[in-house]
Amino acid sequence: MAHAHSSSETVFPPPLVEGKHTFHSVTEAVCSIVEAPPSKGWLASFALALMGLGILGISVGYLFWEGTGVWGLNQPVGWGFAIVNFVFWVGIGHAGTLISAILFLFRQKWRTSINRFAEAMTIFAVICALLFPTIHVGRVWLLYWALPIPNQMGMWPNFRSPLLWDVFAVSTYFTVSLLFWYVGLIPDLATLRDRAKNKISFYAYGMLALGWRGANRHWQNYEKAYLILAGLSAPLVLSVHTIVSFDFAVSVIPGWHTTIFPPYFVAGAIFSGFAMVLTLAIPARKIFHLEDFMTIRHIENMNKIILVTGMMVGYAYAMEFFVAWYSASEYESFAFINRALGPYWWAYWIMVSCNVITPQLFWFKKIRTSATMAFILSIFVNIGMWFERFVITMSLHRDYLPSSWDYYTPTLWDFGCLVGSFGLFFTLFLLFLKFLPAIAMAEIKGVMPEADPHWEGHGHAHGAASGHDDAVEKHHG
Amino acid sequence: MSARMHFSDNPKLDPVVGASLTRIGYGLGVAGLLVSLGLGFGVEGNQKQFYFSWLTAFLWMVTLTAGALFFVVLHHLVRANWSTALRRTAENIAANMPLMALLFVPVLIGSSDLFHWSHADVVAADPSLQYKSGYLNMPFFIGRAVVFLILWIAIAFFYRKHSLAQDESGDVGLTFKMRRFAPVATLVWAMSLTFAMFDWSMSLDPHWFSTIYGVINFAGSMMACYAALALASLWLTKNGALTRTYTVDNFHDVGKLMWGFTIFWTYTSFSQYFLIWYGNIPEETIWFVVRQSNGWMALFLTLVLGHFIFPFWFLMSRHMKRGRKTLGIGAVWLLLMHYCDHYVMVMPNLHHHLHFHILDVTCLVAIGGLSVGAWAQRTAKVNLVPIKDPQLDASMSYDNAV
Repeated sequence: MAHAHSSSETVFPPPLVEGKHTFHSVTEAVCSIVEAPPSKGWLASFALALMGLGILGISVGYLFWEGTGVWGLNQPVGWGFAIVNFVFWVGIGHAGTLISAILFLFRQKWRTSINRFAEAMTIFAVICALLFPTIHVGRVWLLYWALPIPNQMGMWPNFRSPLLWDVFAVSTYFTVSLLFWYVGLIPDLATLRDRAKNKISFYAYGMLALGWRGANRHWQNYEKAYLILAGLSAPLVLSVHTIVSFDFAVSVIPGWHTTIFPPYFVAGAIFSGFAMVLTLAIPARKIFHLEDFMTIRHIENMNKIILVTGMMVGYAYAMEFFVAWYSASEYESFAFINRALGPYWWAYWIMVSCNVITPQLFWFKKIRTSATMAFILSIFVNIGMWFERFVITMSLHRDYLPSSWDYYTPTLWDFGCLVGSFGLFFTLFLLFLKFLPAIAMAEIKGVMPEADPHWEGHGHAHGAASGHDDAVEKHHG
Repeated sequence: MSARMHFSDNPKLDPVVGASLTRIGYGLGVAGLLVSLGLGFGVEGNQKQFYFSWLTAFLWMVTLTAGALFFVVLHHLVRANWSTALRRTAENIAANMPLMALLFVPVLIGSSDLFHWSHADVVAADPSLQYKSGYLNMPFFIGRAVVFLILWIAIAFFYRKHSLAQDESGDVGLTFKMRRFAPVATLVWAMSLTFAMFDWSMSLDPHWFSTIYGVINFAGSMMACYAALALASLWLTKNGALTRTYTVDNFHDVGKLMWGFTIFWTYTSFSQYFLIWYGNIPEETIWFVVRQSNGWMALFLTLVLGHFIFPFWFLMSRHMKRGRKTLGIGAVWLLLMHYCDHYVMVMPNLHHHLHFHILDVTCLVAIGGLSVGAWAQRTAKVNLVPIKDPQLDASMSYDNAV
């Protein structure tokens, strides 16, 4: 070869499942997590998560008793941690839908070992997200007013408000994501049913498996349903965060009203979602010995997506700044200079450092193929993306009227709700890890060489089989 | 799943066919150019119209060419297999970049007719333009355009050169080299396209601004590039070339991406329209007010119907994307809509009332003809696919059964 290149470079990517696995050993590796008694590590983590959930209970209970005055809200900052946490959690959910729907439609087979994980994360993140607008309304017992229910007073929600569109968008998103996750679980639930050692799990998994017997007809219906749900979910990846961005962008507040907000929010959501997938998956793959399924190739791919979406977010920051200047509107320019150099300068620079600067380390192959580094950098992205929403929300603190300018300081109860939402999230997630197969067994088997009709057993035609697998695998977009 | 395929076609185009399209393209191009120049400068009062018509047609073709350039870069960036068979066609389109630089010269010559921020007296009377003059001034504008065009020419040249070299040597190292350069090329391309569109299109109305403008034009240029690739591939196979290489699944995938980017264009365009409509700030809404009154509304609605609603339903079914005729109709239609898109961005800056001019057609024929001629001439000289690319077989072996 005339051109020097490192020996690790190959034209086609490495196999998706490492180690000497058979269909049976895949089932064993995944089911044993569910079937074994809970480990000490799981119990300790669960106790910690329950503590967080307790904090949420106390914070929300006190909030309901006293009202939203217990938070640090003031005039002009009427939107504080509640909206920041809402957008943060909705954003986290996006990676799950992207992996399960968009990557499926693009035939990205590497998604199979992480999609179950990511979809579960989506559902729990959306639950956490839904919590915040709910408690932010103040009089939670009147929450149903957000729904267009015919009533004798002729009172309707404001259909022109993006806050109402949020109600529709997020609840649709939750429903479709839940269906998608559940449909994908059915074959694996049947596996757990067939392996059940006691009556309770036999009946519990049996009912959830909907009578799945792995018949040809079952698989045909399943594949069709899965494809249709993927098609339905794909526009939801865009629509949900687009409407979340409308919450801000339809206003005429400098720093909020800018046309790039919809795609910028979507890119940011995918960015933060992939970071959260890594934050969850890297410890889990270590603790449950899933390295053969969530290989370094999977981690590297996710790191590349983080790098790309991080730069899309950086592009949006740059466009906002450039056009704020180019617009020649002094309010626009002030809003952005105030972000970078005003009282909340520290939040702005945490955001830029964590979202634009630290992900650049993923340019180095050594760093993006290291599980430890990926874990550390994913935490940075999580922090950065929380601060992005904080920075955007804090555009409020210096509005058009300088006499009303005020500094927003969160109270203990703001932090209680934030920490508590993590408690809720991890409680649900740990329950998922314990009771449901964390990896889509049926799908993983479909990308193994044994699944190829022309496969002739280990040692025979292995190369040809995996080559063929590469041939049908498309990489685009 | 289909069986593993191996490349077995004649990699060259029939020279008679190539020469014929080259002649037709250049013939139409030169004729269009002469008529345009004659009408523009021979007839009193047509000069300004010539420059605006030229700019519209130029933006139409330069975005398509830039889209093809990014198709090549994206292929390497994501290590795609499926697009290997289409890559040479895209490389040949992207190699039109030097021609684009040449076609940009009239825009520079006509800049005082096109960009009213380039007049010192206008700027002196306008505090907002004075404020922007650090960016919107002629030397910087020219400097940026030169940099953008040189970068695009360099990227196009780099990828085509290494790709052609692999045809000879079969060296897999060239694949790795092209891949390694792809991330940087992507960044350069994204930023340069954004600012090129700010400069050449958005600054026609120098008071107006929109942060999503670059993204909309990105979406449009990718859609146009997939439409052009579909047409080019259909034309090649119709003339007996690559009939065993271009499978129906290749056409299906180009169709899917063309359809997908139609929707993405709609998404970004709607975002811009909706947020400006809802915010209802005069300095922003003026751009749409102009485009929705005095007859322009007809073209605006043409975009809504023709750039989204019609292609959305027309190309949704897999049969339409897999059918040669229907895919071809969709592609021609979307190229027309891509022109319409730029027309709506550019022309209301010249005409207060909707007003078509024969120069719109002649400039389109000039730039379109020259580009097709140059592409055909180049295509006739080289292999039609990267014959020794290690991914070529994979590109021919997948199917869209699912």
